[in-house]
Amino acid sequence: MLRLTIFLILLSVFAPSSYAGEAAAVDFDTDIVPVLTKSGCNSGACHGAAAGRGEFHLSLYGSNPAFDYDSIVHRFKGRRVNLVDPENSLLLLKPTESLIHGGGARIELDDPAFNLLTAWIAKGAQRLQQRKLKSFEISPSHQVFESVGDKVTLQATAIFSNEDERTVTRWTVLTPEDDTAVQIDSETGEATVLRSGRHVVIARYLDRVVPIVFIVPLQARSIDFVDGPRTNFIDDHVYDLLATLKIPASPGADDATFLRRITLNLTGRLPAPRVALAFLDDKRTNKRQLLIDELLNSEEFNDYWTYEFAKLLRIRSQPLDKIGARTYHRWLREQIASATPYDEIAEDLLTSIGDSHTNGPANFYRTVGGPRALAEFVSELFLGSRLRCANCHDHPLDHWKQDDYHGLAAIFADVKAGRVVSIQSGGEVIHPRTGIAAVKRIPGERFLNDDAQGRESLAEWITTQHNPYFAKAIVNRLWKNMMGRGLIEPTDDLRSTNPATHPQLLEALAEDFIKHDYNLRHTLRTIANSAAYSRSEKSLPENATDDRFYSHSIVRPLEPEVLADAIADVTGVAMQFGEEPAGTRAITLFDPKISSPELDILGRCLREESCESQSTGTAGLPVLLHLLNGKLLNERIQSPESRLSRKIKENVSSEKIIREFYLLALSRLPTEGEQQFWAKEFGSIQEKQRVDLLQDFVWAMLTSQEFVTNH
Amino acid sequence: MKKSNSQFTRCDGVSRRGIMRIGGLTALGLGMGDLLQSQRLCAEQPSASSVNPKSKRCILIWLDGGPSHLETFDLKANAPSEVRGPLRAISTKLPGVQISECLPETAKILDKFAIIRSMTSPLGEHNFGTHYLMTGYKPTPVLEYPTFGGVLAHLRTNSGVLPPHIAIPQFRVGGGNLSGGGYLPAQSRPFSVGGDPSKPNFEVRDLELAQGFDLTRLDRRRRYVQQLDKFRQLAGENGTGNTDLDRAVQLITSSDARDAFNLKDEPQKVRRSYGSKTVGQSCLLARRLIERGVSFVTVNQRGWDTHNDLYTRLKEGFTGAKKPVGLIPSLDLALSGLVNDLDERGLLDETLVVVMGEFGRTPKLNTQGGRDHWPRVFSVALAGGGIQKGQVIGASDSTGESPADRPVTPGDLAATIYMLLGIDTKLELKTADGRPVRLTHAESNVVQELVG
Repeated sequence: MLRLTIFLILLSVFAPSSYAGEAAAVDFDTDIVPVLTKSGCNSGACHGAAAGRGEFHLSLYGSNPAFDYDSIVHRFKGRRVNLVDPENSLLLLKPTESLIHGGGARIELDDPAFNLLTAWIAKGAQRLQQRKLKSFEISPSHQVFESVGDKVTLQATAIFSNEDERTVTRWTVLTPEDDTAVQIDSETGEATVLRSGRHVVIARYLDRVVPIVFIVPLQARSIDFVDGPRTNFIDDHVYDLLATLKIPASPGADDATFLRRITLNLTGRLPAPRVALAFLDDKRTNKRQLLIDELLNSEEFNDYWTYEFAKLLRIRSQPLDKIGARTYHRWLREQIASATPYDEIAEDLLTSIGDSHTNGPANFYRTVGGPRALAEFVSELFLGSRLRCANCHDHPLDHWKQDDYHGLAAIFADVKAGRVVSIQSGGEVIHPRTGIAAVKRIPGERFLNDDAQGRESLAEWITTQHNPYFAKAIVNRLWKNMMGRGLIEPTDDLRSTNPATHPQLLEALAEDFIKHDYNLRHTLRTIANSAAYSRSEKSLPENATDDRFYSHSIVRPLEPEVLADAIADVTGVAMQFGEEPAGTRAITLFDPKISSPELDILGRCLREESCESQSTGTAGLPVLLHLLNGKLLNERIQSPESRLSRKIKENVSSEKIIREFYLLALSRLPTEGEQQFWAKEFGSIQEKQRVDLLQDFVWAMLTSQEFVTNH
Repeated sequence: MKKSNSQFTRCDGVSRRGIMRIGGLTALGLGMGDLLQSQRLCAEQPSASSVNPKSKRCILIWLDGGPSHLETFDLKANAPSEVRGPLRAISTKLPGVQISECLPETAKILDKFAIIRSMTSPLGEHNFGTHYLMTGYKPTPVLEYPTFGGVLAHLRTNSGVLPPHIAIPQFRVGGGNLSGGGYLPAQSRPFSVGGDPSKPNFEVRDLELAQGFDLTRLDRRRRYVQQLDKFRQLAGENGTGNTDLDRAVQLITSSDARDAFNLKDEPQKVRRSYGSKTVGQSCLLARRLIERGVSFVTVNQRGWDTHNDLYTRLKEGFTGAKKPVGLIPSLDLALSGLVNDLDERGLLDETLVVVMGEFGRTPKLNTQGGRDHWPRVFSVALAGGGIQKGQVIGASDSTGESPADRPVTPGDLAATIYMLLGIDTKLELKTADGRPVRLTHAESNVVQELVG
């Protein structure tokens, strides 16, 4: 310090006039840190790495200015700054490559970064701490363009605690998520759109990250949806964006398609042929609405949505203990069946303790091991947020700090999760930065200094209607289940820098969900009744590449358990699951470890980790080999007990059999063209050959895209 | 947790899902393609390239989890013990070049190899690192890039019925986020054989025709599925049909294809020369496959994420083993067996063999006798395929912490591999929505010393 003071005195005498001419004092925290970020010095690949780089260590993206100041001014024996001859400071010699620098040339001689750093050193390399960032804005943050090649100049404005307002575009890092879609001049902030569609650019300044959305229509011709079918607020929002993007919407789906789609979505089953025929014949104008209500009140709904939530909660047996999982699963089904509001379910899960064999929700704390893993699980499940980055450093793309991560983990430090889940005081989570026990904390909110009731406080905060994530996280998942894609993807990665495709729609759905007492059925009903839900999956030439704006229904593979049940239903030969009673359906299994070669082949989620991110259908070739040569389909089709074998024995005509399987598997009748095709195939054949052909027909039906997808 | 399991468990608990996900997003990214373009595009992919191919095909031996450079190809015999680690360095056929004591067979033929000791990357997470090493691109949230195998499968016309891109035993790499095909059509993804070739009853599951079943019916089934899919064409299929089904039928009907997987055809002497472990027999199978026209084989050796007790895991195999049977001795037999066998058959010059993982390991041993992730410097070994052999390229510093000389990025390596395989590094491939993407990053430079 003494040395610094002496230099300062010297400086005031000898400082070259050009530096002295700089107006205001240079503040380290708000002037210098942005230079380091903009020049890339403190990125994760360079000095911002956990171990620094080349012995020089900065905090990631300048999240800890005190640390950075110390690194630059004091460490390395103070040699990084040269107060007498600022331009000869290592801090400048390295990034200008006047000295060899592993990171190459980051700063040009005499560019604004160079001048600012020089001025700062010339004025004594002080930290000052004159002001803090109060707010940061980008203008425009949402821009609709007319066509590819259009430009806009982004302007970044920072307002500081001393009411100082500045344009900081030059020091804001502007990163397009896709640099082949948007090009940005990093000095002027001029952005050029290179492709049509919706693009996101992330702006970073100090500790703020802000998303900017650009929209470029797909074509020039205007489209309006004034006459398009609308049932509720969902349609207003979906049409709005389609109109902006100038994407036309496909017409509504026919009754048969709608029936199959909604029955699969709400009950995880194919509609029974009898129901299908009745529905197709029904002349009432509100028959779809009535069907939705009927399905929402069915036992099958309870089974299927218990399955969906069991995946989300990762319900599975523990080593040598199946009873806990069974109790948990039974409890969950009761909640679904009795329409327990979702906030109450969450509260029960977060606060229950006791014997996991008798108290279902107590199993929640047995899902993952250890307070840190619990913190990640809880935040991904209830907040749709990934805190994981904040384990090692403040989250680079979100506002979560290390304190939030370890503070949340500390809330679970007292949880002892064996068969009996209990609270035993004395547990702690060591904060890696301080080396001492982290203080319990409601993430992003407040420390719980003397709060023994950590889990209760957390549950209260998570389920309050003001919680910004809780309702959104779940309605986004319900939306994905119904529509084939989340408004935010991935569904466990909600953050401001990963904006929803339809932000206002997500807000509206969440508000509506809260207003209706966190009723899951209400939101599912609202989505099911929208015109957006009931659109045809058939695309128009102008909307064929749309996979996220809901101009047509999204085709998605059936979930493995749903597909297994559907195969069993159509063939009439049930599957045996471990030692579960005969006739058990795959979606009702309480444990994914229950043995089932069929479900293994179809790729079920074992719920050891999140099931939300698993890609399905990657194992295409091996599955097809099995369908062709393995037992899954062949045994079920050929068995004397099978539906097909019985029909053959009963001498039912080929035409009738074909019609029946169309109804069973596809919930529709064969078209004229299809009837003709099959009539020709089955025209002049022997009885013996007829069996082979029918078996091959059923096999092909169960392998066809129309069967293995919901569309 | 059972010990046998632990070596396949990821240290950071993010297996099958990354911090930032890349696999789930379509090539559409956050935008939408130029519609007019997309209709034409998928058809017009360039078929060949202007560069002379030095190698026709490639076997990638993937050391999944991140192999320690300090225990394999870049030992620091003179460093303090916490850096040096428990393994000794031995001399090799290349004067002055030493490698691990656990690689004695490889040491004898090191003149057939080139080693890069100055690989460097900023990505120390399994999925990220794997994406970077296998594609040459850092992962982005917008687009999953295709791996070398995916690109080769896409560009080369296949000679034979075998899938052009095969993984042995399976393609679960880097935590499992990578599909292998990236933004290319699904057929570019690797076919995983599934079984373990070192097991006596090894076979590719469901390759044999089901009982009481014949080719007429097989063909009829295929025809019926095609017909049904045509009757009700669902969005996104572009009428290309079910290519997996076509492939499956081809595989089942071709006796050549089934023979390829029959390791029992190999003389015992040959089988033994590769070592009895999974990685060895997988390399042997890889040789049989490339002989039959497969363009790219990934041999996936798992378990290199040695955060603890690396001595046992890398060398001994199990505590107190008389003869070391850990990861490195198994690799040694597999690698030397493969290179010698290819050489004897005259296939080495046109078959590129690459040995690598997603990153190296920390210079200092940790308190559990292991090393953690370290991408800043690590090593890659190459053989065959017309490379300039018998050289070491680049060097790490005295503690194996940073590149001391001639840093090579995974992007540079990718450009080099494509160059050796005769594919123009500036080639533009098209995503499903018609967007052109360069095969290698514009900032990648071919490692000229390797290409010669």
